[in-house]
Amino acid sequence: MNRPRQLTRLRRAAVSRLARWSARRHRGDTLPFTVGRQRIYIIPSRFGVALALLVAAMLLAGLNYNSNLGLAFGFLLASLAVVAMHHCHRNLLRVCVDAVTEVDAFAGGEARFEFSLRNDAAVERCGIEIRCGDSAAEPRDVPALGGSRAVVAIPVAQRGLCRLERFELRTRHPFGWFRAWTYVHCPLTAFVAPLPRGARLPAAAAGAAGAVPLAEVRGDEDFSGLRAYSAGVPLKHMAWKVLARGGEPAVRSYSGPAAQPDWLDWSALPRLPAEDRLSQLCRWVLDGESMQRTYGLRIPGTEIPPSRGTRHRSACLRALAAFPRTEARP
Amino acid sequence: MSARSIAPERATLEQLLWVCACLGLALLAGIATPPVWVTITVLLAAAVRLGLAVRGGDVPPRAVRIVVSGVSIGLLFLQYRTFNGLIPGTALLTLIAGLKLLETRTWRDIRVLVMIIYFISLATLLEGESFWLLGYMIAVCWLTTSTLLRLTGAARNAGWRRSVRYAGRLLAQAVPVAAALWLLFPRFGGPLWQMPDDGGGAASGLSDTMSPGDITNLAMSDEVAFRVRFASGAPPAAERYWRGPVLHDFDGQTWRRTEGESAAAPSLLFQGAPYQYTVSLEPSHHNWLFVLDWPSRWSAPRAFLTSDYMLIASQTISQPIDIVATSYGRVQAAEPLGETMRRRDTRLPPGRNPRSLRLAQDLRGAHPDDRGYVEAVLDMFHREPFYYTLQPPRLAPDSVDDFLFHARRGFCGHYASAFAALMRAAGIPARVVTGYHGGTYNRFADYWILRQSDAHAWVEIWIDGRGWMRVDPTTAIAPERVNLGLKDAVEEGVPARGWRQRRPWLTDFRLRTDALRLFWRQRILQFDSGSQERLLAMLHVPAPDGQKLALVLAACLIAGMGWLTWTVRRELEVRPEDPVVRAYGRLCRRLAAIGIERLPGEGAEAFADRVARRRPDLAAPVTALCRKYSELRYGTRPSAAVAGRFAAAVRAFRPRGSPGSS
Repeated sequence: MNRPRQLTRLRRAAVSRLARWSARRHRGDTLPFTVGRQRIYIIPSRFGVALALLVAAMLLAGLNYNSNLGLAFGFLLASLAVVAMHHCHRNLLRVCVDAVTEVDAFAGGEARFEFSLRNDAAVERCGIEIRCGDSAAEPRDVPALGGSRAVVAIPVAQRGLCRLERFELRTRHPFGWFRAWTYVHCPLTAFVAPLPRGARLPAAAAGAAGAVPLAEVRGDEDFSGLRAYSAGVPLKHMAWKVLARGGEPAVRSYSGPAAQPDWLDWSALPRLPAEDRLSQLCRWVLDGESMQRTYGLRIPGTEIPPSRGTRHRSACLRALAAFPRTEARP
Repeated sequence: MSARSIAPERATLEQLLWVCACLGLALLAGIATPPVWVTITVLLAAAVRLGLAVRGGDVPPRAVRIVVSGVSIGLLFLQYRTFNGLIPGTALLTLIAGLKLLETRTWRDIRVLVMIIYFISLATLLEGESFWLLGYMIAVCWLTTSTLLRLTGAARNAGWRRSVRYAGRLLAQAVPVAAALWLLFPRFGGPLWQMPDDGGGAASGLSDTMSPGDITNLAMSDEVAFRVRFASGAPPAAERYWRGPVLHDFDGQTWRRTEGESAAAPSLLFQGAPYQYTVSLEPSHHNWLFVLDWPSRWSAPRAFLTSDYMLIASQTISQPIDIVATSYGRVQAAEPLGETMRRRDTRLPPGRNPRSLRLAQDLRGAHPDDRGYVEAVLDMFHREPFYYTLQPPRLAPDSVDDFLFHARRGFCGHYASAFAALMRAAGIPARVVTGYHGGTYNRFADYWILRQSDAHAWVEIWIDGRGWMRVDPTTAIAPERVNLGLKDAVEEGVPARGWRQRRPWLTDFRLRTDALRLFWRQRILQFDSGSQERLLAMLHVPAPDGQKLALVLAACLIAGMGWLTWTVRRELEVRPEDPVVRAYGRLCRRLAAIGIERLPGEGAEAFADRVARRRPDLAAPVTALCRKYSELRYGTRPSAAVAGRFAAAVRAFRPRGSPGSS
């Protein structure tokens, strides 16, 4: 872009000022969010400004040559632009953003937010783009009385919490002469787990590389009794009958020699710096899940009892992501 | 800007094809304007670019593009020596479109091309004037705009038919606002700044010279010269002579206008009833205006009468104009003929046409009286075997001799030329007047059409004590020419015309389309500030002026914007097909407006009960309506009449928020 840098800075300043003003005015949006009339901003795009100059030149030429046909053509284009402005604004009006699912992310990769757009109107919405900061999803269409999904991938460099105060819906439909957008001030958080690194989880549960076998042996084979429910337990292990009788949520435990639950333990990696320990633990969490093992995670301040399944894995990864950064610790 | 916006989207082959097609269609309408080589360059550029795209390639190398651009723009400049003005400007724009096409790579380039196409369309419309051209250019604009639709968002994956339909809907929605702007936007009349005169358009119709065969060529042309609408009653055929160039200088074969004389028109005494009329002239690219013999007043600004009563405009007529004028059928000179003028109009080329001179002397001897002499000459034309024909033979250099004594077959120009020469030979001042005569009456819109085939030539002679007198020697040969028009008068040489006359419906059709054309011309092409004032007067705006025009325009624009907002948003609404459901929706909206909203999932009866509890005063109508709704909706399908009655009952129900209710 060979545009003067000064102009870019000015534009950015104006945009961020607008975003801040909008945040003050409509803070705390909740999902599902329906785009209201007063939330849509619209300006001509650069193409639109060029078209405006062109139409002005056309009208001048028409007046100068006293040509009523030229004037008619110029006025038709001018009012087409006005109609396009209305259509651009309408393209966002009453679009509903249903849910945002965060998918696990790793440092150095991308945090992905999945948005689902719903359109309760009788016309198709075309080319709606969702932006989070500088990242955007491909513009997509939402059919009339239908829905559509869009994924925004935000590059994340560091482990931790990736927090966005707002996201933006944008459109240039129909002709690209105008850009309409709206800010949704709904905070989005992605847990960015450490980049998995280090040795693989050993195949046997022999306590090597810090995986500590549990004292009691649990497995899938034989039912041995009930224990208290904890988050992340596979659904098929839930004691539904107990729950149905009105009891506390409980989990059936099984005993058997096949599964040796592993404790993935922070303290088992004493020689590594904190971030590397987290990376190693992350590696093991992923390995444990892919090897269908039962594993628990123990890091300072958090202990996740052994289990398995996607939700368990997510819980572990989030715990790793949320672990306070080293600089903050003594 | 984010990384995604910087990476420019590549134009696909389909998008390139679209934009090439649009450019081609836009150029087609104005194909005659740019030089042929420019058109060929654009075509070649399109072929090269498309060929590369088909083979998966990209733009030609940079060096090639620079050389092609430099050479072609340089050539164009050499050709015109300027890029200012409509024709050089259009040619340059066309060339640039081709060059831009050659380097089109991204969406951004396509957008630039689209803007160029818009401007080329405008340039074509600045020159053209027909209704069809406007329609065609709007259609091109429609397609071009559809191309844009295929650039934004994911819609480009949808079928082109849908893009075209959607762009069409937007264009249709744009029409009302565009019409308001066109009607009410102030017009300035003259140009804002002077553009160089291109001299575009060839002069047509009568010229300021006349050789005997000239008018014969015009007689073959159906082209319209002008149209006339009389305010009240047209003059009889014998007085419908439309005066054009008056010719004085005769060299034995050709009559010419005298150059450089600037005497004022000698005053006339007008007699009889005046005729008031409006002449709508087609552009002739000459500077004379056609008015009925003899003009007394005219509305054309800065037009003046010459000493021989030609109405001359200050500029050549390059655009259609309307002139309101008044003429009198009979006049008398108020002052005697000046000596220079008498000398000019009795001069004959020495040594030419000797036999005619002798004939004139003989006749003059027999008829010393001017009027008797004129009668004798006309009588000779009538009595001797002279013929009126559209296929006259070629005449020798001494054209009058050849015509009078050998050929004896001629068209109006031949007779006028010979007659004027015979008058001058007898010392009577005479001049040839060219113009139009007669015309076709359009009974569908009450006006006269004067075509090139109505071109005519006659003679004016000076009779002392009376002044200039019109003599039409053609009447001596073919009196029908005056009463019926050319087609009935000519004895031979009107090819392939008879079939048209045998089909009256075709003539009617032609007259009707011509009436539409006149309407288009006067109401659309010549729409100006005067028309706007009349429009405001029709809207009952008292004392219309520019300021009120602006106010009305602003009001119209505000209303237009409101209408647009409403109409565009309304498309979002899901409108139930069933009129009963629609009516029920209206009922719920009206109740919601007074604070009782139907809950999601609440049935009609339950809702009616709730309304009855909260507003006992509304209980009866609401319960009745809701029960009716349930019955119609869930019973057997109601007929349209029953559904309509229900809808009407809902419309009649207008609840008011009463202060007593909570």
